[in-house]
Amino acid sequence: MLELRSLTAGYDRRDPVVRDVSLTVAPGESVGLLGPSGCGKSTLARVAALLHRPDRGQVVVDGEPVHGWRHRAPRDRRTAFGVVFQQPRLSADPRLSLAQIVAEPLRATGRAADVPERVPELARTVGLGADLLGRRPHEVSDGQLQRACLARALVLRPRWLICDEMTAMLDASTTAALVAVVEEYRAASGAGLLAVGHDRVLLERWCERTVEWRELTGATGATGGSAAHPAAE
Amino acid sequence: MADTEATTGPGTAADPVTRWRPVAGRSLAGARKASRSTRAWRVGSSAAIVTAVVLAVLIVPPLVALDEQAVHLADKLLPPSAAHPFGTDDVGRDLLVRCVYGLRVSLLVGVVAAVVATVIGTAVGALAASAGGWVDRVVMRLVDVFSSVPHLLLGIFIVAMFRPGVWPVVISVALTHWLSTARIVRAEVLSLRSRPYVDAAISGGASRWRVTVRHLLPGVLPQAGLAAVLMVPHAIWHESALSFLGLGLPTHQASLGTLVQGARSSLLAGDWWPTLFPGLFIIVPTLAIAGLAGAWRDRINPRRRSELML
Amino acid sequence: MTGPVPPAGAPAPALSVRGLSVRFRMHGGTHVAAVTDARFDLAAGECLALVGESGCGKSVLASALLGLLPENAETAGAALLGDGTDLLTADERTLARTVRGRRVGLVPQSPAAHLTPVRTVRSQLEETLRELAGVRRPDLRKAAAAAAERASFPLGHLDRYPHELSGGLAQRAATALALIGDAPLLLADEPTTGLDRELVDRTVDELRRHVGDDRALLLITHDLAAAERIADRVAVMYASRVVEIAAADDFFGDAGPRHPYARGLLNALPEREFTPIPGMPPELSALPGGCAFAARCDRADAACGTVPALTGGVPLSTGAGGASTGAVPVSAGAGVACHHPVTAALEAPRA
Repeated sequence: MLELRSLTAGYDRRDPVVRDVSLTVAPGESVGLLGPSGCGKSTLARVAALLHRPDRGQVVVDGEPVHGWRHRAPRDRRTAFGVVFQQPRLSADPRLSLAQIVAEPLRATGRAADVPERVPELARTVGLGADLLGRRPHEVSDGQLQRACLARALVLRPRWLICDEMTAMLDASTTAALVAVVEEYRAASGAGLLAVGHDRVLLERWCERTVEWRELTGATGATGGSAAHPAAE
Repeated sequence: MADTEATTGPGTAADPVTRWRPVAGRSLAGARKASRSTRAWRVGSSAAIVTAVVLAVLIVPPLVALDEQAVHLADKLLPPSAAHPFGTDDVGRDLLVRCVYGLRVSLLVGVVAAVVATVIGTAVGALAASAGGWVDRVVMRLVDVFSSVPHLLLGIFIVAMFRPGVWPVVISVALTHWLSTARIVRAEVLSLRSRPYVDAAISGGASRWRVTVRHLLPGVLPQAGLAAVLMVPHAIWHESALSFLGLGLPTHQASLGTLVQGARSSLLAGDWWPTLFPGLFIIVPTLAIAGLAGAWRDRINPRRRSELML
Repeated sequence: MTGPVPPAGAPAPALSVRGLSVRFRMHGGTHVAAVTDARFDLAAGECLALVGESGCGKSVLASALLGLLPENAETAGAALLGDGTDLLTADERTLARTVRGRRVGLVPQSPAAHLTPVRTVRSQLEETLRELAGVRRPDLRKAAAAAAERASFPLGHLDRYPHELSGGLAQRAATALALIGDAPLLLADEPTTGLDRELVDRTVDELRRHVGDDRALLLITHDLAAAERIADRVAVMYASRVVEIAAADDFFGDAGPRHPYARGLLNALPEREFTPIPGMPPELSALPGGCAFAARCDRADAACGTVPALTGGVPLSTGAGGASTGAVPVSAGAGVACHHPVTAALEAPRA
């Protein structure tokens, strides 16, 4: 169980972007979180992946409350989450080859011995050819790079997947391909998914359950939902 | 719809008569080319000067058995001539030889001090940025405090604690010059640290140390290296200033600073060469080094677009 | 083939692209073909959506039309404006003084990067008005407000700096700048990347509104929904070539795309089958000799060893002979570059 309880988070304590949000993802469940740009859903995703410390509230993973975020979280806690971000260009270290990017979590957790087996296997899963694996990020397209980023998120076999606008920069075919990879992995591993995005059609097709950002923020949600967002200045 | 006009033939793919035109034929591209050739000239001349200087200080003293300290009182203050291209000083020492030896000392001081300062600055900056919190605040306030004291004053204070010599000068220059590098490295690490790929590394189980060494430091090294090269001329000037004030090297040891200092009295007498040539030796090589560093900066500019705009 | 458009009875198209090709010289003398033999017309009042995945060459095509290619690029063919100016061969002075902003307006991909960060929206609008429209000081303030209003940019935000604007507002500020020159041709390069659906719809609707009856819009996007919303015609690009041009009603309607790639792309949408096209597109530096899609195509056979021409007619036979078999040369209106185009109707999207 991944439980987000009354979370308040942001980058300025006086003006948090996430106010009092609660959300629960069951093991094996896929939850789509729909919200307009800039509403704070990406911040919530980072809190859920233990990458951003909330100002208030609690994250409970499998019954255990989380006390540390980022490096302060125990390593096996952190690696229970696979994270994919919106912009592959910013999510990949520009100096590493795609193969190194995928292998990095294995090396960081002292499992370098698994690299020769796991990296080609995952490259096949996400549809990256051997010639692409040797390239660096600036030599491949956004779609190819995002495939590598998804492979990196899966390489440690996480129990939870957090996909933050994973497909926003991608064309329809690559989107369908990456979603298929995620679903295949979840079917095999029973991992839970929190997919954050703004594309209702996509999330409703992808996830078992879709929740709206404004439902989560409840009474305190000042924006009143997507209809009122920047449109209404 | 838009059927205003039909093409006259099918767009066959293997069109053998595709006539390619280079984009560079455009006038602005021409202007750009001109600026590129001046840039090439600048880089080329800078590289030539730096190479000549390095060769001169490395090869000439061991190979050419000239004694920079040889005193010939009969030949004192001779203007430039075939025998003494830079003339002689007030005790008849050959100024060309002394300039080469002086440059050797100044360059050594400059390079060593710049390297030491860069290592200190990079370590402090990276530590402050990756530790964050109170460590960052304390360290950076200390940097501010040190920066608020004029460099030269601080440098004088440091050399004053030692007997005159090369190493006190190196220490003095290094300890006053790492501050800006620390600031640059800290800012760079902070900006890199907020990139999603660092988030991804943390989520992938990377330790603080691994994130710093594998993802952050390689990202700041080009900047730090550039800062180091730009610091060399600065350090040479600093050494010269200290020596000119009589606080750096002992006056008998030739450095560019002591040479200029020793020549002050003859300048008043109307003899221009003992100050001009050491002065040129300070200015020209430092400009050349700065020119090369500028070219390097253009190369590592992260905003440079990749060749393919796909 | 690439000569100027003959002055026929009908007005010349706002943009006429004839055999436009772009390649990049790489280290070691190799070439990367980014755009190969693109040809299409764009009439006033029309919106053509150029769709394709990232890396297919569509952004390079846009850069070529704006004269913004890097120095290692080479071009071929022609891209003629309504008055006969060839965008590919015009010199930089002409482009800078009379084309960019005045005859071709650009709505950029990332408005935040396109706006000058240290100046307010108002000062950027005023500068552009001074430069492009020759507006003088006393009228400048009013003109800036009018320009902002045209792009529905709220007047209360005029004195803000770009970083103080939301994504949607930054997009509108960039659109307002692009519209100042009253250019007859608007070029929108991925104007909706990263925006949410509502802002996408709003942005493209605004673009469509500005096109009206006398301007033309080339919308370059990977977002098929945005294309469906406003395009009159759709051009699909794959591995540097335009593989299909079709009326948007046919493309998104019952008839469906006829090129297997275009059909696959449409079927990958979550509201349709949500199945990816197998495989990945070829590298532009190593394009196969024949049809670039053949390796991923279930209809491929021996005929696909030759590159199919963009033709308007249905081939009479699918046997040997391929491209020349009874194929009608494409009109500027519609066509498909495939030896075995799909003819079956498209399954309707899910409700």
